[in-house]
Amino acid sequence: MSQPIKCSLCEEAATVHLSQVVHGKVTKVHLCEACAQKGGATDPAVFQLADALTPASPAPSLTCPKCGFTDIDFRKRGRLGCPDCWETFGDALGGLLLKVQHEASHVGRAPAGTLPAGQLRRRLDDARREMEKAITGEDYEAAARLRDEIAGLEQQLAHS
Amino acid sequence: MSSVEDILAAENELTHLLGAQQAVVLSTRIRLARNLDGMPFPGWAKVPQRKEIADRCVEALDALPKFRRGHVLRMGELGDRDRAVLVERHLVSKELAAGKSGAAVISRDQTCSVMVNEEDHLRIQVVKAGWHLRGTWHIAEQLDDALGGSLRLAFSDRLGYLTACPTNVGTGLRASAMVHLPGLCLAGHMDKVSRALNQDGLAVRGWLGEGTEAAGNVFQISNQQTLGLSEEAILRHLGGWIKNVVEQEWNARRKLAQEEGEKFVDRLARSLGVLRSARLLTSSEAMNMLSHLRLACDMGCLPEERRHLVDRLMIEGQPAHVQARAGQELDSDGRDRRRAAVVREALKDFPEVVPPTA
Repeated sequence: MSQPIKCSLCEEAATVHLSQVVHGKVTKVHLCEACAQKGGATDPAVFQLADALTPASPAPSLTCPKCGFTDIDFRKRGRLGCPDCWETFGDALGGLLLKVQHEASHVGRAPAGTLPAGQLRRRLDDARREMEKAITGEDYEAAARLRDEIAGLEQQLAHS
Repeated sequence: MSSVEDILAAENELTHLLGAQQAVVLSTRIRLARNLDGMPFPGWAKVPQRKEIADRCVEALDALPKFRRGHVLRMGELGDRDRAVLVERHLVSKELAAGKSGAAVISRDQTCSVMVNEEDHLRIQVVKAGWHLRGTWHIAEQLDDALGGSLRLAFSDRLGYLTACPTNVGTGLRASAMVHLPGLCLAGHMDKVSRALNQDGLAVRGWLGEGTEAAGNVFQISNQQTLGLSEEAILRHLGGWIKNVVEQEWNARRKLAQEEGEKFVDRLARSLGVLRSARLLTSSEAMNMLSHLRLACDMGCLPEERRHLVDRLMIEGQPAHVQARAGQELDSDGRDRRRAAVVREALKDFPEVVPPTA
């Protein structure tokens, strides 16, 4: 008879066997009744194997010089501490941003008159392309709106 | 009179048909997340910092013409019921109502409400009855420009408006439509529609937003991506889908009415019958039957001009509203009794349901 599988977290015999895809790899984990209950394994919506297997490291590796927020705080809260945290954690958050936003840089509005010229040009190109499409598709309402947007962007660009 | 009583009593956009109120789309909403440069986000700020943030934001908002003769409400100074009323009206979120240091600045007509010290320092919200994406956006844009003129907002060239949560960074824009989809629900197509919307980057939620169920066949559809798309592109994307959903809803309704014939009219007539005679009405029962009345008004089974009354009952039939109207705390039976009385009174001179014309 084969050896009973032991719990991945303690030495008890495992009774709960799970597999989960973490970072594209199938990870298997075996837990005893008590650890499974503690880790919330009965509720798949909240249970994350990665969390169960890699307990939060006690020492933070990144700290915001402005507000003292650390990467450990982010892991707990999912929110940042202050606007300057984006500077500190920006690179570390790159992967997460791509996952939730599918894009890495802003192309929208800016506080009055602060949009850099490069971005204005990119938006202008986008708007012109969209207008062509709208005209081809005979969506004249959209085309008129885009024409106004283009005029506005051209004006901003002339003043920047 | 407290400010919340004032809000309940005043004629306003959503309960008094100030905007053009329509079939299918109940309301359009724009939300912009903004933060003050150099200040910690509310969830990380210390109490004195949160107070400073609230004071600076409220002062700037109070000075804007849009909020003249409006309301400034500090959550710490309001009772539980008043805060619940604000949540039921979508003027503030549950999160803001749950904390002590939050505030809300609300315009007199209740179309604009700015939450201060929610997840971000400022959450600008504009809501219009019916489907008015452009008009709603322009009001929000003007408010944003006006605020940007008096407050230094946290912004980076690369990431746009900086927010506490990575799901809002960039434009900070959440555009949404509250839609009434009884046809798609009755036909059993709602799961399919939800999936299609999700796959194309739109979120579908219940009546009171995140984590609530869709009472009364009312859903909130909103964009999820806020970074890497211009505001214009976000609005266009949502607008295209809403147009599509409205068309599908009408197709489902017409098909149902045609295939079911008398059974379709019977369902609507029964709901009117129950609402007109019930002595005890739970909140979800009321919502589901009011949904049938709204459908009846849209389809010509009841006069269209009665629709705004149905909308008002949907809002005012919620638990905190019922108690606020009664002027007292009521237990669950008491609320159901009171809700039934209000609905009976409002519907007593409603005409009978007739076969559809739409």
